[in-house]
Amino acid sequence: MSLAVSRRSPWSAGTSQARFAYALVLPVVLLLAGLVAYPFFYAIFVSFTDRVVGNDGQWIGLANFRYLAQSPAFAAAIWNTIVLVVSSDVLKLGIGLALALLVNQRLPGRGLFRSALMLPWAMPAFVAFLTWRVIYQPIGGGLNLVLTGTGLWPDVVDWLGQRSTAMPAVVAASVWRGFPFWFISILAALQTIPVELYEAARVDGASAWQRFWAVTFPSIRPVVIVTALLSSIWTANSFENVWLLTQGGPSDATIVFPVLAYFGMQTQRIGEAAAVSVAMLPVLAILVFAGTAMMQRGEDE
Amino acid sequence: MKRQATLWRIGSYAALLLAVALVLFPIYWMAITSLKLPREIYRTPALWPHVLTLNNYRLLLDEKDFLDNIRNSVVVAGAVTVISLIVSSLAAYSMVRFRTRFRGLIGRLILFAYLTPTSLLFIPLSILMSRLQLGNSLYGLVLVYLTFSLPLSTWLLQGYFRSVPRSLEEQGMIDGLTRLGALLRIVLPLSGPGLAAVAIFTFTGAWNELLLALVLITSESARTAPLGLNYLITSDVLPWGPLMAGAVLSSLPLMILYFIAQRFMVQGMTTGSVKG
Repeated sequence: MSLAVSRRSPWSAGTSQARFAYALVLPVVLLLAGLVAYPFFYAIFVSFTDRVVGNDGQWIGLANFRYLAQSPAFAAAIWNTIVLVVSSDVLKLGIGLALALLVNQRLPGRGLFRSALMLPWAMPAFVAFLTWRVIYQPIGGGLNLVLTGTGLWPDVVDWLGQRSTAMPAVVAASVWRGFPFWFISILAALQTIPVELYEAARVDGASAWQRFWAVTFPSIRPVVIVTALLSSIWTANSFENVWLLTQGGPSDATIVFPVLAYFGMQTQRIGEAAAVSVAMLPVLAILVFAGTAMMQRGEDE
Repeated sequence: MKRQATLWRIGSYAALLLAVALVLFPIYWMAITSLKLPREIYRTPALWPHVLTLNNYRLLLDEKDFLDNIRNSVVVAGAVTVISLIVSSLAAYSMVRFRTRFRGLIGRLILFAYLTPTSLLFIPLSILMSRLQLGNSLYGLVLVYLTFSLPLSTWLLQGYFRSVPRSLEEQGMIDGLTRLGALLRIVLPLSGPGLAAVAIFTFTGAWNELLLALVLITSESARTAPLGLNYLITSDVLPWGPLMAGAVLSSLPLMILYFIAQRFMVQGMTTGSVKG
């Protein structure tokens, strides 16, 4: 594209033009500055104070963080968040990819399968997790009924009530609700791969396995990376799944950062609660900056 | 070779059917529990109930005033959607059509806001709202929901506006339209499916939100649907029947919307990376 110097194109920004352009974005910029940027920095400030409800508190430096470093609930939140993010994202990737590959074949009825598989995503998250809460119940829950009825597992289990099964139960429900996003993103990427590539690979004598690694995988890799990044941010900060299923219990077995911060709010120790959510900022910041860069690059391409 | 292909096909269908069954079972359980009598929920639990009843729905609507919660949700989500669409259309148009000096910076601010999670913002936002005297009100809720709806809708609309050819606008401006006129008469109508998708995403996002509502809303009369159901399970008795009735009522409008607009939504979701 050559730059037209002599003739002013209607899209280049003259002064009045620029003023108009800024006037249009101004409301969004002001609202985001006031409702996202300012609270963001304010949260960091509050985390260095001993603020409680009704008292703005004083600057106490790193005392909140020092306190958290010794708190078993905080240690549990770090570990649980890692377990939740890694295991549910790996499962969502595996299930999403497998189903996308299956639906991408020229099978009759694939449209119907696609719609059905998207249903968990169309359901509100709070509805999904409330439903799973009921399903996991020892009395009135469907899971125990199915397992004992089919003989797959003879005993009634209180899935959410015991330490060993609570986290796997939260992961399973989160995967159920979250895999469609991976499924549909990967499916969309698969559908952009030209058929000729597969035919060429077949002519060269590549096996199905080799075709996957040589043709399919490189084509979906960018989508998988962006999806993994977004999904990690969302999963690490998801509140509804843990809150509605277990409220962090039993005895912190499923406690995660947002729930711990919310408990801090409930006990009115705001400085400490803010410190909980700020404590994950370093890791989160890396993910958010990487995500911003990748999405902006994808946009400019 | 032929036999192998047939086997593969059978295997594919078997795997897909299993996946669909796993997807549908919770939805079935939600619906069926909402229609069961207490004794078929608790005492003799059954996969297929013998008696269907609307009692749970009556209980939820009459005794728990769930319709009030739904109404609050509709008001809040509706207001958030309308405000977001208007404000974001202007911003997205500016971002797509003008090369201003700070465009890159503003673009980064929007994406950054989109990716910044509510769990980081809910504490300062609750302080901010109580300072603005908007603590326990639906107005406050609408305002804080803009934190996630504005970045999302601006980001998505940029994609849709970019696909409207500039030549059409230039033509319209030669014919005497102002630039704002070109946006209203040419770009917006041509982005119709995009606007519909963005409206649904924004509405859904606000409809589903729990954490901010939990922190901000204290009075019973201002509870939204997720909040109403949340307080059902945190009470001592566990009313699975009415709870699932509420789940059905809260998801029906969205599921219907989703089926009507499925095509645009899937498109929007994959181009814009939309959280469910």
